Amino acid sequence: MMGSLLLLLAALLGAPLFAVIAASALLGFSREEVDLSVVAIEIYRLAEMPVLLAIPLFTFAGYLLGESQAPRRLVRLTNALLGWMSGGLAIVALVACALFTAFTGASGVTIVALGALLYPALREANYPERFSLGLITTSGSLGLLFAPALPLILYGVVAQQMNLDPPVKIDDLFAAGLLPGLLMMVALSLYSVWHVRGQVREKRAFDYREACAAVRDSAWEIPLPLVVLGGIYSGFFALSEAAAVTALYVLIVEVAIRREIPLGKLPEVMRESMVLVGAIMIILGVSLASTNYFIDTEVPTRLFEIIRERVDSKFTFLILLNIFLLILGMMLDIFSALVLVVPIILPIAIGYGIHPVHLGIIFLANMQIGYITPPVGMNLFIASYRFERSVLDVFRATLPFLVILLATVLVITYWPGLSLYLVAD
Amino acid sequence: MNDVPAEGALARAQRVLHRIEDGVLALLLGAMVVLAPFQIGLRLFFDEGLTWADPLLRVLVLWVGMFGAISASRGDRHINVDVLSRILRGRARAMLGLAVHVFTTTVCLIVAWHSWTFVQTEREYGSVAFLDVPSWTLQLILPFAFSMIAIRYALYAAAEGSVVLGLRQPGTRSQPAGDPR
Repeated sequence: MMGSLLLLLAALLGAPLFAVIAASALLGFSREEVDLSVVAIEIYRLAEMPVLLAIPLFTFAGYLLGESQAPRRLVRLTNALLGWMSGGLAIVALVACALFTAFTGASGVTIVALGALLYPALREANYPERFSLGLITTSGSLGLLFAPALPLILYGVVAQQMNLDPPVKIDDLFAAGLLPGLLMMVALSLYSVWHVRGQVREKRAFDYREACAAVRDSAWEIPLPLVVLGGIYSGFFALSEAAAVTALYVLIVEVAIRREIPLGKLPEVMRESMVLVGAIMIILGVSLASTNYFIDTEVPTRLFEIIRERVDSKFTFLILLNIFLLILGMMLDIFSALVLVVPIILPIAIGYGIHPVHLGIIFLANMQIGYITPPVGMNLFIASYRFERSVLDVFRATLPFLVILLATVLVITYWPGLSLYLVAD
Repeated sequence: MNDVPAEGALARAQRVLHRIEDGVLALLLGAMVVLAPFQIGLRLFFDEGLTWADPLLRVLVLWVGMFGAISASRGDRHINVDVLSRILRGRARAMLGLAVHVFTTTVCLIVAWHSWTFVQTEREYGSVAFLDVPSWTLQLILPFAFSMIAIRYALYAAAEGSVVLGLRQPGTRSQPAGDPR
């Protein structure tokens, strides 16, 4: 107990989470008098999961895209296709950010890469300042329910460690995220169009020529979502294979064909992307050890019994789950939350008859809100830094969007069919 | 950039070390980016594959991850819950930093030590990963990575310690992983 409190303190004081988790595993195993090299054995299991290959490869591809002119082309393309609508530029921002986030793994790159293009464009078209700021900050994490976003993959990896029957398939998660993700986008789009009605000057006719030019401009990137999603959903590629093809393709296109990233810059892009991968992998590695300890000591089972005594309906449990996840999202980043909390709540949720795939979507949808809530919402800080506004200003600007996202999270939580409709049995 | 300040020969040594780290990381990732699609090509067009490629790719994931983690410790960019250090300033912040870095260093050293015994055991056991590569050589990354990270955090602890003792001015705070400039 004393040890756990000290660890919690260390975490709150800013110690790297991997060290805190490693310490908890070391403490736990030494209390059980297990040889501590078991921790190393658990970390080494990172080399025994084929699906993990997808993580460095997709992340690398995402960073390459972010460094190239692809964000500019993506904005041009969506603008040409959707910009003619009233409030179209807001929808452009939402769609472009969601697509980009799906590929870059919701790591905050979106606000930097796309926000710098979209924010000035929105202001120019007379969108209110506060609205634009809130829209961009919120959009920065939109799309993490769409394949091949890193959090979806990571949830699958963690759930697969639980040896469920039947196992959670990552393809199923990809299918399940589609409609809930669309719901969020549609809700935010409707609000945006309604909010800015009559104040923006941008309505213009659909420009067929510009649309064609924009499509030609993005000709190399357009196949990407098709290859990744088509390849995975059709079963032609395994996830790690789709990642391999994506990484090589993006590398060839952006470095060799388009030459937008000079060869000399490549090591830096590699390093930057692998810093994120390394930070996630080491947390995943040590949490394999701590999870193993928790499961050995039957923590989830005992927790379930305690909760079961007090909470008898699935409905009440879901409400508590939402509250818990929202608070969790305020404190922890999505990756650490996934590897730490999913092993504990997944068995409990199954006990209440919640589908493991549905739980994944609930989990991520709640966590997405955590990106824009203080005290540690990453998007708030990145936007505050990027647009030179105080964190509090940014937070106030995102509030209406946050309320809408909350509403969609409730729909996603209490309507399992929305997530499970596209999942094959 | 965000590194522990060092002067002269030490700074140069550090730069060389960073170069080597970046080089190895690029090499490992490069190998992965080439080998993984190559294996798919073999499967699609010739309906076969290299038997050693899949285990090698899996080990590459671990190595890339661990080198990435070493890289993330350069500039203290590991994921953390950064609530209090944003509020604190000057000496108080340095004291907090000292405590936290000592904690991280200690944990990493313990993990490094037990990874080393793990490698020793595997070596005696003599299992082979693929081709003729013994497993223990691939596992060496664990004690190596955790030792490297421990050294980095020990240096941060030393830097914060010198601020606490009043030998140095407080520096700027580093950026976390995934938080682009």
